[in-house]
Amino acid sequence: MKVVTGVVGNDIHVVANRLIDLSLQARGFEVFNLGVNTYLEEFFDAVIETGAEVLLISSLNGEAEGWGREVQLLKAKYKKLDDVIMMIGGNLVVGTGNADDIIPRYKGYGFDIVCHQVDLNTGLDSLEVMIKERQLAVGKN
Amino acid sequence: MSQIKNAENGQEKLLIDVGSTYFKLSTNNSIEQHFRDFNKSIIDDLTHKCGQSIERFDKKDIHICSSANGGLSTLIIGVTHSFSLKYATNIAFNSGINIIDTVLFQNIETYSVPSDLIDVVIITGGINSNADNFSDDLFRYLEKLNYSNIVYVGSESDAPIIKDNINDVVVLPNIIDDRLHIVEDDLKEYLTNLYQQDIEGKEDIKDLYDITDNQIFSTPYVVNKALPFIGSKYSVVNPFVLLDIGGATTDIHYSKDLVDENIVTENEYDRLVFKKLGVYKSKQSLIFVAKNNEFVYELLMHLKVTENIFEEQSEKATKILMQLAIFLVLCKISHYKKAYVNLKLLSVNSFVLTGGITKVLTVEEIEDIISFFYKKIMNSDHNPATVLDSNYDIWTLGAKGKAACQ
Repeated sequence: MKVVTGVVGNDIHVVANRLIDLSLQARGFEVFNLGVNTYLEEFFDAVIETGAEVLLISSLNGEAEGWGREVQLLKAKYKKLDDVIMMIGGNLVVGTGNADDIIPRYKGYGFDIVCHQVDLNTGLDSLEVMIKERQLAVGKN
Repeated sequence: MSQIKNAENGQEKLLIDVGSTYFKLSTNNSIEQHFRDFNKSIIDDLTHKCGQSIERFDKKDIHICSSANGGLSTLIIGVTHSFSLKYATNIAFNSGINIIDTVLFQNIETYSVPSDLIDVVIITGGINSNADNFSDDLFRYLEKLNYSNIVYVGSESDAPIIKDNINDVVVLPNIIDDRLHIVEDDLKEYLTNLYQQDIEGKEDIKDLYDITDNQIFSTPYVVNKALPFIGSKYSVVNPFVLLDIGGATTDIHYSKDLVDENIVTENEYDRLVFKKLGVYKSKQSLIFVAKNNEFVYELLMHLKVTENIFEEQSEKATKILMQLAIFLVLCKISHYKKAYVNLKLLSVNSFVLTGGITKVLTVEEIEDIISFFYKKIMNSDHNPATVLDSNYDIWTLGAKGKAACQ
């Protein structure tokens, strides 16, 4: 399964980005890593060019908050993104915040899986659970 | 006029550049520039004005480059702006193509079909493992389009359906590899060859083979080849931007360090073109663009003129037009305007200006405009060095390099 990943906005946390890349590969995903300082449009465009089923955006410095608000608007311009699993993880606010507030807010932005200050493996486990659920749902239909 | 000794083989060489407005002849010690007479064919005009110089050289020692054929018109159909369309545009510009229009495939039904004949259509999209990037909408659009050549450089998985549905399509390797990186060579070679055939096919240019045995190259290609060696002629500090404001178009060559790009290639310098932005053939469209720029009236005030200058035919009016052209080009490559690429202009160390502009404006007049641009658009006192290539040394450098290779 193909995953496009990278760090959104003006964020250069390359170590975390590399760890995500390696962890995804270890789980058998085909990874397209756009690296740091990636714009939202590049993420969506990479999904179109690769035919990826998952988009995993990471953010560590709170940039995601600003970019997150743009997701719905930009995604609406694309015609082939409806079935893509949208995941975001890292430190999703500037400073500290309550996950109970943050997760619904990001889901409202259009993300299916939101991992705020969650261990990487736990986050990827939840991704695999959602993939299985979707596969089952497709099988039933 | 003295003749040059070619460093490589001791033979004398004459270098000629045929532009849309001027032609230039270069030998070892001198360079001549002539305004073209549009009532004559290029060859007649050239032999009339420079016949004596040309006669002194054997056909094998005359090397010509030209941008006077206008370049190829190109329509690129791709599936995203950030990858397929951007990569194909980059390759096309670097192959000497001037006129590029793009169509985002997912919205293809919203694009009007150009009525003019298109020299080459490029279709691209998807990595090789990704199929079904296109649908019948593509074939319906192409049926309405009038084109001479068509090339497919997208996903291998879609190649069979493309071949089955498009007559005479040339299928080349994908320009996007499996890591989403650009692969330039095959499309670049194809476009360069098409450009060559176009030059050879245009009557006006074809005639020039009467005076040379050598291949006629496109001028931007020759200039681009010279850029890595520019330091041998001028104290230019990287990263730099070279502006070639011509009669019909404006060519920009820039250090790759000036773009935050997902395009990773071995080229040190990329090229882009603003069509219809020139000071002679494209003068009216330049004025149109100027009138639509919110800062231009402030700039005119800064230059102590009014917009009536646009109606004048004088040396002063030409100077103002050229100063405007510099300002508008800088706007187009800055973040002030969303373009195919935006350059990091606060990182530029030198601006190099070449072409006819160097005969009209002084370094001070150019620096005045650049400084105005940085203050108004970039809110900065950044002050890059300005270098004037008044003797066409950059073109000569590239042309000599090309001549030495032949």
